[in-house]
Amino acid sequence: MKNLEELKQIKERVRRNLEMRSGDYRVKIIVCLGTCGIAAGARQTMNKLAELSAQSNRTDIAISTTGCAGFCEQEPMIKVQEKGKEPVTYGHVDIAAAEEIFDKHILNGQIVERYLFSKGE
Amino acid sequence: MRTIADHLFDILENSVNAHASKIIVTISFFKHIFLCRIIDNGTVANLNNVTDPFVTSRKTRRVGLGLPLLKSTVEGTGGHLNLSRLERSSGTCLEFTVNMAHIDARPFGDISSVFIDALRSWPGIEFEIFINNAKKEKKILDTVELKTMLELDIIQDMEVLNYIGEQLKKALFKIGINQQFGVS
Ligand SMILES: Nc1ncnc2c1ncn2[C@@H]1O[C@H](COP(=O)(O)OP(=O)(O)OP(=O)(O)O)[C@@H](O)[C@H]1O
Ligand SMILES: [Mg+2]
Repeated sequence: MKNLEELKQIKERVRRNLEMRSGDYRVKIIVCLGTCGIAAGARQTMNKLAELSAQSNRTDIAISTTGCAGFCEQEPMIKVQEKGKEPVTYGHVDIAAAEEIFDKHILNGQIVERYLFSKGE
Repeated sequence: MRTIADHLFDILENSVNAHASKIIVTISFFKHIFLCRIIDNGTVANLNNVTDPFVTSRKTRRVGLGLPLLKSTVEGTGGHLNLSRLERSSGTCLEFTVNMAHIDARPFGDISSVFIDALRSWPGIEFEIFINNAKKEKKILDTVELKTMLELDIIQDMEVLNYIGEQLKKALFKIGINQQFGVS
C-alpha cells in the first residue's frame, strides 16, 4: 500500500500509464450500471472486469459504464466493442460469465454465444 | 439491492443523470444510525412524489426504481428519506437514515468501493467525502485537492484508486462502518 508521498513519487509513471490508456483502445467494455443493473449485481461484474483488465497488464482495454438500456430482465449487461467490429451485447453477466467473456472475447476475440444478447447497435 | 453500498452507488447516479459536476457526500454513523447526505450541483427536477415509481425523467423505461427501492430499505428500518432542492444554488440534496441495528437492515457492503466505482465510472465528476461521528466532521476525500497535489488531471489509475480505497476504508472503519455490520 502506497502512502501519499509515495504516490507523488510515482506520478510520472502514473501519468505515462494514463496517457497510454487515453490513446486508442482495441476493446471497450461498457457495463450497464443503472438501478436494474446494480440490483442484479452489475457492480461486482464491473469490479471483476476491472481486476482482470489490471491483471492482464494490457493497456488497450477500456472499461466504462452507462445507464439502463431498457432490457432490465437481462441485467447485468455488458457491451463489448472491438475496434473495427460490430459491438456485441451480453446479458446475465455474473462474475463467472465476466471471467469467461474476458478470456475468450476480450483477450481472444471469440464471441461467447452462451451469454449473447445481441450483435450490432 | 443487496447492500447499502448498492443503494448508495445507485443514488449517486441520479446526480450524474442530473448533469452534476460535483457531488459532496457526508457519511455518519452514530448509535447504529447510518446517516448519509448527498449534495450535488445538478439540474433540479420536479421533486414531488419522486419516491413514487411512476415519477421519472428517464426515457428508456417508464418507471424510476432507485428512490422507491431506497425508500423501502430505509423505512423498513424506521429510517427516513428526504430529497430537497438547495436554497442558495442549483442542486439537490438527498438525506437518508438507516437503523443498522434493525432486524431488517441490509448489510453495509463495501462502502469504500462505491466511491472507487464512482470515480472509475464518472471521471468528469469531482467528489468530496466527509465522515462524521457526531463529535466531529472530517474530510476524507477531495478529488480536486488530490489532483492538484499529484499534479494529475485524471486519477483513474489502479494505484491511485487503490490508495483512495484504502484511505476510505480506514476512515469508515474508524466510525464503525465495516462490511460485515448488518449481515444477517
Ligand atoms: N440528484 C437528483 N437531481 C435531480 N433530480 C433527481 C435527483 N435524484 C432524483 N431525481 C429525480 O427523481 C426521479 C426519480 O429518481 P429514481 O432514482 O427513483 O428513478 P430514475 O433515476 O429515474 O430511474 P432508475 O433509478 O430506475 O434508473 C428522477 O427521474 C429525477 O427526475
Ligand atoms: Mg435513479
